[in-house]
Amino acid sequence: MARNPLRDQPAVVGVGSTPHGRDLQRTALSLGLEAALKAIEDAGIDRQEIDGLCGSGMDTLAMGGAGFLSLQGALGIEKTTWVKNGWLGSCFVYAAEAVFSGLCDMALVVQSYTRDVLMSRSAASDPFRLRAAQKKMGDGLFAQDDFARRWLHSGEPYAGWMGRYMHDFGAGKDVFGLMAVNNRSHGVRNSNACQRTPITLEDYHASRMIWAPMQMLDMDVPVDCAEAFIITTSERARDLRRKPVLVDAMSLGGTRVGEFYENTLGWTENAFWVCLEGLWARSQFKVEDVDLFYPYDGYTIDAIATTEAAGFCKPGEAEDLFKSSWDARSNILRLNGGRTLVTTHGGGLSQGRAGGANFYSEAVRQLRGNEGDRQIAGAKTALVCIGSFFHDPSAVMLRAA
Amino acid sequence: MTAGEISDDAVFSAFPAVLVDRDNIAHYRGILAGKLLINRCAACGYWVYPHRPLCPKCLSWDVHPAKISGRGKVFLFTLIHQVREPGGRLREPIVAAAVELVEQSGLRYLARIVNCPSERIIPDMPVRLTWIESENSVRMPAFEPQPVREG
Repeated sequence: MARNPLRDQPAVVGVGSTPHGRDLQRTALSLGLEAALKAIEDAGIDRQEIDGLCGSGMDTLAMGGAGFLSLQGALGIEKTTWVKNGWLGSCFVYAAEAVFSGLCDMALVVQSYTRDVLMSRSAASDPFRLRAAQKKMGDGLFAQDDFARRWLHSGEPYAGWMGRYMHDFGAGKDVFGLMAVNNRSHGVRNSNACQRTPITLEDYHASRMIWAPMQMLDMDVPVDCAEAFIITTSERARDLRRKPVLVDAMSLGGTRVGEFYENTLGWTENAFWVCLEGLWARSQFKVEDVDLFYPYDGYTIDAIATTEAAGFCKPGEAEDLFKSSWDARSNILRLNGGRTLVTTHGGGLSQGRAGGANFYSEAVRQLRGNEGDRQIAGAKTALVCIGSFFHDPSAVMLRAA
Repeated sequence: MTAGEISDDAVFSAFPAVLVDRDNIAHYRGILAGKLLINRCAACGYWVYPHRPLCPKCLSWDVHPAKISGRGKVFLFTLIHQVREPGGRLREPIVAAAVELVEQSGLRYLARIVNCPSERIIPDMPVRLTWIESENSVRMPAFEPQPVREG
């Protein structure tokens, strides 16, 4: 076991979500502000109680987006003692650790995502999205003029891994398709999901080929949206109006691969495995105790990797697991012999691409018990796994207070 | 031409180097129409700058661009002798000044100071809005000393 002094200390006390839409005609900052105000309202706090702020983005300035430098002034928050930008899974972990360490008492996390010009033809013809992209890409990180640098922070190696996974384990593509169908079936019931038309496994197999063997329905849906959370101490949480959701344990995960993804390690050595190993070394729970499982689905292969890394099955056995766990009446997965539902909001594949932030907010709402007609009865624990094979993975075990 | 008649495309092409977005495009449209517009909250009257859609004072989204009087005072300034690029030394220094507008304490707009010898610029000196030609033929806002009233 590893040390876990933070068990049950950080508590999520507020969540806020904007609509998830294909073209909301708003800036990332505007969406982030809306989500932030909703989370503040949900927590029932005064915004001046916020003394820690994690904005959206990969760098400190995060120009043109919803970074902390823009957010703090735009929200009129006078003083903070902890600020940072983050994305994917790590943003939540950063804020929880800041609260636990005492650098702040009330942290606001804002994650804003917009459908950018590399993601669709219609986005590429929008002058506002074009201008934002030109200004963001000024540093040349994503310049693709040198083919050998093409997999720098690229999605294409995930397609490569799909093929390698199928080859090494003798799997077909149904394993990916079942995850896509599961997420869509849940998305159909979510009024804030972007994609709400039911799909079948046949629809999955027939979808447009993008980076073979990766197809359209393996990829999350680019949308304009923002999510926000408020994290404080469990002590402070007792005085607030919402039933808190406690952090049992969490872990990040780093490997020696670096940013050139062709240097990928083996299937069971990628960052998700490091991350989940770190989580189980700290959690009081085991995989059998998970009521709700939220595996990130930027690509379906991410969700397959986290399913296996979390230990729901052995490496390479996800296809057997999914086929034996399939609820053909509802077209959803029920893992752990039926008790565990997966991605109950529809995920990035159906609700929309929020960098995993909507997985956190869904987990919190389900554990508080206020998801209305989508509420999963008796949900006490949720495992959220967000991130990439190569960077910023998180595994966070949440429990109802 | 009024600001309303200037298309989005015209704004994007007039300001190729600017991150024009949905929160600030009205400001740049205003510049093309010869007006300096700053966002103002219709609910509480607070001026909101940089250009953002939410009032940080009262949290109202009812924020709209409004014309400012053009009067203010120099708060901070520097004489730029050299631009950031190595070897980018200027023949004549230009003044970059944060001008505090009379509309609201702390409401500042960054612009050049013109029609004034640089050695005469001092903090808190009163200035007023004027317009200058720029390289790409767009007339840009700048400030000049306010004439001292006679008498």
